Order: sequence, then C-alpha cells, then structure tokens
Amino acid sequence: MDRATISADHAAPPGRADPLGDQAGPGRQPATVPRPPGGTGGRLLRFALANITRRRERFVLSTAGIGLAVMAVIVVRTISVGFASSGSASLADVLHGNPLWVVPADGVRYDPGAGTLIAKGVPPPLRLPAGWHAQRAVSGVWDSPGGELGLLGTTVPGGHAVLGSAAALALRTQPGRTVTIGGHRLTVSVSGTGKLVSVPVAAAEPVIGTHGWWTVAPPAADRGRTDLGQLLARASGLPWASDPARHPAAGGPGLIYDTTGTSAGLTFAQRFSALFSGRVTSSALGLVSTVGLILGFVIAVSSFLASVQERRREFGIMSSIGLADEVLYFFLVESGIVFLVAYLAGALAAGAALALVVPGLASLGSWLQASGIVAAYLPAMAIIGALVPVHRLLQQRPVALLAETS
Amino acid sequence: MITRGLSYGLLSARRRVRDLILPVITTATGAFLLVQVLSLAGSVRRQAASLGNGAEVYRAVLLISVVVLLVGVVEVAVCATRTISQRTREIGVLGAAGVRRAPVVAALLVEPVLAALAGAVAGSVIAVVGGAAASAAGLSSSAPDAAGAAAGVILAIAVSLIASLLTSALPAWRAASVPPIRSLSSGG
Repeated sequence: MDRATISADHAAPPGRADPLGDQAGPGRQPATVPRPPGGTGGRLLRFALANITRRRERFVLSTAGIGLAVMAVIVVRTISVGFASSGSASLADVLHGNPLWVVPADGVRYDPGAGTLIAKGVPPPLRLPAGWHAQRAVSGVWDSPGGELGLLGTTVPGGHAVLGSAAALALRTQPGRTVTIGGHRLTVSVSGTGKLVSVPVAAAEPVIGTHGWWTVAPPAADRGRTDLGQLLARASGLPWASDPARHPAAGGPGLIYDTTGTSAGLTFAQRFSALFSGRVTSSALGLVSTVGLILGFVIAVSSFLASVQERRREFGIMSSIGLADEVLYFFLVESGIVFLVAYLAGALAAGAALALVVPGLASLGSWLQASGIVAAYLPAMAIIGALVPVHRLLQQRPVALLAETS
Repeated sequence: MITRGLSYGLLSARRRVRDLILPVITTATGAFLLVQVLSLAGSVRRQAASLGNGAEVYRAVLLISVVVLLVGVVEVAVCATRTISQRTREIGVLGAAGVRRAPVVAALLVEPVLAALAGAVAGSVIAVVGGAAASAAGLSSSAPDAAGAAAGVILAIAVSLIASLLTSALPAWRAASVPPIRSLSSGG
C-alpha cells in the first residue's frame, strides 16, 4: 500500500495532471488512488517500521550491537564528566574568586585521595604592582583521624575551619563543633561536598608545611581588564600563561596563571576541567570504549549491507519506476530508528551499569550530560551508516538488480 | 543425528569461510582488549589509581571490556541471521527429506560457534603474544601477568561462546521450525 501510494505520488507530482484523471471521460468521476493518512514523512516511517517488523531479529541484533557500544561510551563519558566537575570544584576552592594564581616552579598536582589540588613547592617570591593584593595559601594532604583529607591554609577567619561535607563525615563532626588542627582549636562550619578542610594559614602550616601558592587580585578599578597576567608579570618578573595545560619551567621562578578571558570560546576553568576529563578519555577506559563504538558502527553498516543484499530485487523495482533517490530516504529513516532505539537502550543500560558497578563515580547530572554528548554525534553515524550500503546499491542499474535473485 | 547435523554444519561452514572473516575480526578485537586489560591489570590499576577512585575505575574498565567483547560477538549473530536467511531453501530441502529440527539447528549453530571461538582464540593469542613481545622489547612499562592473562583468555572464550549461542539459537530454531513447503517456496 505504501509503495503503491509513493509510486502514485511520483507519477502525478503537484501541478501536473493526474494520468487517471486525464483518461476520465465526460460525466465520469476521475479515479483517484486512495492516500493513506499522514505526509511523506509519516509514510516513510510506516514503510521503515514495516521493514523492521519483517526482519525483527536483525533489528534486535543491530540495536543490541549499537546499544552496547553506546552504553560503553556513555559510561566512560559519565566518569569523565565527573572528573571534570572535580577539576572545576578544586580550582574554585583555590581561586576564591581571585583572577590570578601564582604557582611554584614545581607546579601543582591533583591528589585524588584528598580530592584537592596540592602545591609541589613553596610559593615564589612575589612583587606586586601598587594597589594590588596577594594572599598566600598553603596546601597539602592531612593524615587526619578520619583518613586522608585535603588541607588548605587560606583566608578563613581566625578560629574557624570550613569543611566539605565529605570531610565533616570523615571527621564525624558537625557545624558548630570544634576541631583541633595544628594546635589551633577551630569552630567547624560546612560548605560544599568535598574532602577539603580550609583553615587559617597559621593552623595549616604546622601540619602540612609551607608548600603553596599565591592568589592575586588587582584593585577594584582594574578588575575588568584582560591584561592582568601581563601586568603582574611585568611587576614580578615571573612568566605568565592563560593556558592551564602549560606547566611552570623546571627550575624556573614559578608561573602566573591568568584565569580571566577565554580561548577558543572556553574559559580558564573550562579548559582546566577539560584536562581532568581528558585524563579519563585518554586512559584505558577511553581507548576501550572508542574501540567499542567503532565495532558498534561496523555492526550497523554490516547489518544494513545484509539488508540491502536481501532486498536487491525490491530496490530494483523501485529504481525501475523512478524511485531511485527514495531508496536513500527509506534507509535513512530505518537507520534513524535503529540508532534512536539503540541510543535510548544504551543510555538506560549505562545508567543502570553506573548505578550498580561504579556508583561513586557517577551522578544523575553527569549521566545526563554524558548522554547529551553522545547524542550529538549519533545522527552523523546514522546518516553514514545508511549512506554506505545505499551508495553501493545505487551504483548498479535497475535491470542488474532485477536480474539477480535475492 | 546431532553428530550428522554438526558434520553437515562443518562442511557448510568451510564453504562460507569468507563470510566469517568480519565476525571473527570483531570478536577477536573484543577478546584482545579483555585479555589485555586482565593481563596488564597491575598497570591498568595504577592508571586507575592515578585518576582517583582506583577500585571503581578498574571495575569500570573491566565492565567496558566485557561490553566491547559482547559488541564484537553481536556481529557473529548478525552474520548467523544473514546465513540462515540465505539458506532458507536448503533448510526446506533438509526438512522435506525428513531431517528433524534438532540436527538442522545444530548445523546452523556450527558457523556462529566456530566464528566466536576462532575470534576469541585469535584475539587472546594476539594479546598474550603481543603483550609478551612488547614487554620483552621494553615497549611496555609492566610485564603481563600470567594468571590475569589466563583468566582473560578463559573469560573471553566463555563469554564469546555463550553469547554467540544465545544470540544465534533463536533465529536457527525459528528457521528450522518453518514448514518445508514454505521454506522451499519463499527461500532464496
């Protein structure tokens, strides 16, 4: 029915006389081909669904192959997004809203156990332009009674300790209680979710030493300037960079990171987070999932090629009545359905796998974000997956397709 | 009769070796990755630990490796459905000649099982030999763990065989259950 209708549409395009109507004599009603409800898109969709129903097993297998590949990629992307969030949060802990960050020559590292950034040396000597303000911070890993925690000595009001909720849980303390760090008795308040404990510098230094960095702020009048890094570099004699991927020169004086401005549309914090997510995608996890996605795509193309092989005569008939181009649309719609169902199944399976196997590495937000990232490149795969087999088909003349047995 | 079905399936598989190349490659790729991850568990664990939450990241690596192996095995099943579709008339002839369903199913399952087994073994061998060669040449930072490699090989072969049987059994059963007259009139 569908094919007959589509054929009729092409025999009598809009603006041209209906061939059946032309033959109608006086007093006779022109014969019309009954049109099924819905437009061309609806008919293509029904045609594709009919073909899928005819070859249910192949549809299930193609969907399973692509869905498993999608699941693998979403799991890795979710973990990657989670790490990017950790990077973003750790940078926010460091900067406290200041635009410039001066790190020692040995640089800084992220400690996954303590969940915070740790300086690998003492802050470099710093000369500031007039009116500018700098805050020295010390950072390190505190072997606390509740396990390893990040300890940051910074601009916390004297007598107070600001704990992330995970740190408060580890120390079994609550807001309003006191905790003793470095011989200082500090009143606890809780902010954020991490394992970082922020205390005054004087309380932190006896525990973790003097490794740390500077955070620098210009006068309020210069806050909007985009050359803050250059200004501080000129005054201090230190090199500066706006790219977080650049490390201080070994044995050098240290490095100023200018966190203002954007590069290629990305802020400093976004590029800093990308460094974290990049570590996941370039690890064994990322490599294995990429291979999985390639295999899934190979399966999709292989399945479509098999489908084309079985339906050569059908497509030969279509081509011989002028529907050669429409064959591509049929396959595009079928491919779209296969990839859509596979994506939905893969995303749900990934969510279940994350919740069951690695609950500590995923959150609903990161899963949704990762699913969105993967959804962005599936349409391209669906289109290419349909084009490859159809291209091979359209290379042949209709008579050749009709001559061979399916 | 099952033995004869298997023999018939083996003879048929020899005629279709070219069709089995792609499923063997996809299964071998999945098996290779799984054996690599398990044989280099120490190195992968260290990398996972450097990212933080080492135990969970390692579990995720294992999960993804098994999933990728399953993706590879799905191609075996796709190939099996294609073969069954092409052999509909042949199945009809067997049915018309009085061959029962069980030997026909056994004959149809020979190809997917062989493809899965060949892929899993090939991928495992490449992973083990390649890992040992890379370690001997100093290209790998850590030597492969023999126990991990053995576990990987066993897991890869077991998962491939079970998954290929599970995914190919239904199409084979359905094809063997079609009345011979229908298979002979509709099949290619």
